[in-house]
Amino acid sequence: MDAAFPVTLSLQTAALALALVTPLGLGLAWLQARRSYPLRSAVDALILLPLVLPPSVVGYFLVVLFGRRGLLGQWLEQILDIRLIFSPAAAVIASALVALPLLVKTAQPAIEAVPLELEHVGSSLGLTSVQVFFRITMPMAWPGIAAAMVLAFARAIGEFGATLMFAGNVPGRTNTMPIEIFAAYQRGDDSRAMLYVAILTVISCLVVFVAARLGPVRTQR
Amino acid sequence: MSSPALEARFQVEVGLGADAFQLQVDLTLPLGVLVLYGPSGAGKSLSLTALAGLTPLQSGRVVVAGQVFDDVAGGSRVETRHRQLGYVPQHNALFPFCDVEQNIAFGLPRGERRKGNPAIEELMQEVGVAGLRAAHPASLSGGERQRVALARALAVQPQLLLLDEPFAFIDPRGRKDLREVLRRSLHSRGISAVLVTHSRDEALAMGDCVALYERGRTLRSGPAGEVLADQD
Repeated sequence: MDAAFPVTLSLQTAALALALVTPLGLGLAWLQARRSYPLRSAVDALILLPLVLPPSVVGYFLVVLFGRRGLLGQWLEQILDIRLIFSPAAAVIASALVALPLLVKTAQPAIEAVPLELEHVGSSLGLTSVQVFFRITMPMAWPGIAAAMVLAFARAIGEFGATLMFAGNVPGRTNTMPIEIFAAYQRGDDSRAMLYVAILTVISCLVVFVAARLGPVRTQR
Repeated sequence: MSSPALEARFQVEVGLGADAFQLQVDLTLPLGVLVLYGPSGAGKSLSLTALAGLTPLQSGRVVVAGQVFDDVAGGSRVETRHRQLGYVPQHNALFPFCDVEQNIAFGLPRGERRKGNPAIEELMQEVGVAGLRAAHPASLSGGERQRVALARALAVQPQLLLLDEPFAFIDPRGRKDLREVLRRSLHSRGISAVLVTHSRDEALAMGDCVALYERGRTLRSGPAGEVLADQD
């Protein structure tokens, strides 16, 4: 089998998961950082859930939800003819879900650290809430947001348990690098396992390096 | 006869439980500069954010130049971005990721934010920061920052300026210069301002009217000389 496929698939899966989770995660990070509302603590707990639950449990929930007889899966298959389970899209969803808490919890303090006065000035200058976010909050919190995205990408590319449960190990279709390591190890193909171990280790080291380089922006008093 | 620049009577409550702070305010400014004067923690800055629509009122009304911004009983409220107020906070007044010129042009429509816009050029000249156009806030003195923040507020042609301790953290010479710049700018545009200070000298130097604050309420207000006569 093509040795490059798991690498390409993992990179594509992680990139798509990041694209999927970034708008949602930043929206949630902003909501938790800037708004107080009755269910705020409950939403906070819900965001953290994929981080504290065993990945196999997250994967099981995804199967229950999106499986062929799942609550949403049934509907998706009947109405839109989309079958998510055991597909590359399932790997993307599983990776996005486990990356979400890391993205939100890294971006949230960065948003909280943006001085409220600057956002107030923006509003007084006629900016809408969306403009305030993109023209003031985002540039100010950018190092933290970028670090959050880098960490989310790393979590997504390394995702194993939920992906195995939901996307399975379909060679040439859903065998991402972590899944390929597990499969190769079980077959006793150590050299193949080592190849992906080395690639994932290099990627993880790069991520740690990049995240550490992204420091907070300075504000004046 | 034209409407007063500001008529505001409202109540605001912030914080919860033991940290709750209640503010009761009665302000009137026919025209010119209204100084909110009083000790720290009396509610002056909170009054500014309430006037700007950044802190919701519990009850009361805010009317600026005849336009009702807040009327809690009547259920009407104008969003901050539609109030056309120039707000300059005490801290973190400038965007650190923009240079002086970009800071001043920040509130303008995209097409007018280009470098070399004559209107921005004129404003920079007016407040005396033309030589600093490419400088970033971190390299500016306190007085220069306030000038830039003032120019940015003026750029969007506000009907009222809200200035929170504009003379704090500025040396005496810089203070005098900034006072001159502010007076000139307000006069040439015919706009009014609400200015927060805890300095009696500043209040006397800048205020046409003064509202005296103490522990979350306005004790009295009126012409600067009268209100501050018995204040040390």
